[in-house]
Amino acid sequence: MLIDIHDLYKIYNEGKESEVRALDGVSLQIDKGEFVAIVGQSGSGKSTLMNVLGCLDIPTYGDYYLNGTDVTALSDKELAHIRNREIGFIFQGYNLIQELDALENVTLPLIYQGVSVWEREDIAMEALAKVGMDSRAHHRPSEMSGGQQQRVAIARAIATHPNIIMADEPTGALDSKTGRHVLEILRDLYRSGTTILLITHDDGIASTAKRVVRLSDGKIIADHPQEVDWE
Amino acid sequence: MNLWQAFKMAFKSISMKKTRSFLTMLGIIIGVASVVIMVSVVQGQNRKNMEYFEKMGDNKISVSAYSYYDTNNETSQKLYDYCLSLSNLIAGITPNAEVGNKVIIQYGAKTLAVNDWENMGPNFDWNSMMHVKLGSDQFGVCNNYTLAGGREISYLDIEKTNSVCVLGAGAKEALFGYTDPVGETITLNGQPFLVLGYYEAMELYSDLDNIIVIPYTFNRSMNGNSTINSYVVKAKSAQATVEAMTRLDAFLGGMFPKNDQGYCENGDYQVYSDNSYAQNMKSQSNMQALVLGAIAGISLLVGGIGIMNIMLVTVTERTREIGIRKAIGAERKSIITQFLIEAAVICSIGGLIGIGIGCVGTLIAGKLLLQETSMLPSAFITVGAFLFSVVLGIIFGMYPAIKASGLQPVVALRAE
Repeated sequence: MLIDIHDLYKIYNEGKESEVRALDGVSLQIDKGEFVAIVGQSGSGKSTLMNVLGCLDIPTYGDYYLNGTDVTALSDKELAHIRNREIGFIFQGYNLIQELDALENVTLPLIYQGVSVWEREDIAMEALAKVGMDSRAHHRPSEMSGGQQQRVAIARAIATHPNIIMADEPTGALDSKTGRHVLEILRDLYRSGTTILLITHDDGIASTAKRVVRLSDGKIIADHPQEVDWE
Repeated sequence: MNLWQAFKMAFKSISMKKTRSFLTMLGIIIGVASVVIMVSVVQGQNRKNMEYFEKMGDNKISVSAYSYYDTNNETSQKLYDYCLSLSNLIAGITPNAEVGNKVIIQYGAKTLAVNDWENMGPNFDWNSMMHVKLGSDQFGVCNNYTLAGGREISYLDIEKTNSVCVLGAGAKEALFGYTDPVGETITLNGQPFLVLGYYEAMELYSDLDNIIVIPYTFNRSMNGNSTINSYVVKAKSAQATVEAMTRLDAFLGGMFPKNDQGYCENGDYQVYSDNSYAQNMKSQSNMQALVLGAIAGISLLVGGIGIMNIMLVTVTERTREIGIRKAIGAERKSIITQFLIEAAVICSIGGLIGIGIGCVGTLIAGKLLLQETSMLPSAFITVGAFLFSVVLGIIFGMYPAIKASGLQPVVALRAE
């Protein structure tokens, strides 16, 4: 079991009139090598779930075991370590650092990992090549299209060879053709054994995943595998 | 992430945001430069004052006394004799007097007018005026002059009222230029005076060099009937100065007893030494340095607060970036380190520029205010101001860095 959460709550303004239960008792198990889509309307709690699963946020109550480790008991430093080595994030807004060029952005997680200068440039170039962006290595984000920026963001996510890729609406800001290309990259990663968590509001996008978890009002309302036609 | 990486990131961040970095530096630049210039100028002035007093004569006691009823120099003679009796304490004594009437000095075609009150225009340069000093055979010793050539006036010259003189460097140059004046004869109001010797330049204030010393026994003929009532006594040491002053005070106190109201009825006297004056000056200029230093310190502090402001704005501006960095695995330590180094580097560069400007400013201020050709700030001030600016940068860089790194990644990522 890679991800094991049990009775997880994320409650804002608890006990007040404005109390919001973004996650309301969620339990979920994901195995290594799965391709899971977490689907829900806006406000359903799917992003909150990803933030908690990705150790970007802490749950109010509940247990979270990642690879058998109790994440809720970890220190800030240990969480940084997990984000750095175990998880690769792909965000809707790309979240590249504007002052750095593509290569430097992809190198960043490797720097925090302590990879040596010579090695990390090669690794980063390799990751960029995988998403077809090696020719743009020295361009800044502002000099690239949205699709290109997202591919750089994917290269950054995969450069550290994480066990899990978490993609929050990765195609949300892209046109359908570029979006399909991004999903293609995710499928390739899945084939090579990486666990993929795809967060989306779009059933069409979700149909690319092998398993669909449906969220509404902070609760899981459906969880089922599905047949996919990837040709 | 190692330190070298943190340095590179900090440099990258600084060079990418040039305007912001420059504005941050500006505070420190102004702060450091003003500290360096202000303190240097005060120190320079201080040094110059002390030099002046040293040349004027350490251990120099000025004694003056006048009796309201004395008409034939009795008081003066008594004082002079008493001073001579202190021979174990003093190195010399000379009247502190000069000719107050008009004197025309001539040598060949050259003429110098002294005290020519009627013909002084409104733009008269007082520093260039000559002074005809009435001195004893110890005039040079008492006033810290060194002979450059020839000899001093002798005791016999004084006894016999010989028409001889010794020239200060300024007078020598004005009358003789670069030729040797010894053995030449100049005239004072038509009366010939043999030049016995001349002094080396004091090179501090020109009026110290613009002198012609003649035996004090010319007082009667040149100054009319006025009496000499002021002397310069040179003590042998700082210790002897104090001792001699005490004795002179006691002696003159006996000559001019005070009444019940604390006033002398038959005259007045004064004993004072440059030593105490110099001491006074020293503590005064220390005070000045302290006040200016405080002002300069405040401007440094203001510069530091400017840095803190910019750093805080930067944190808000860069919260998203910090969120990204945290999301991809930056530890809190890494972010704090990056911000600290950024602040320290900005302050160091600002400090170095400030020192540069401070040095140039000190040079210019030294030239304009103190007439010194190559005045530079002391290493202590320079290093001190530099270290202060870097430490300020680290202190003020710390708070924003801690604030930035303490955010939850998801909170930071949501910031726009």
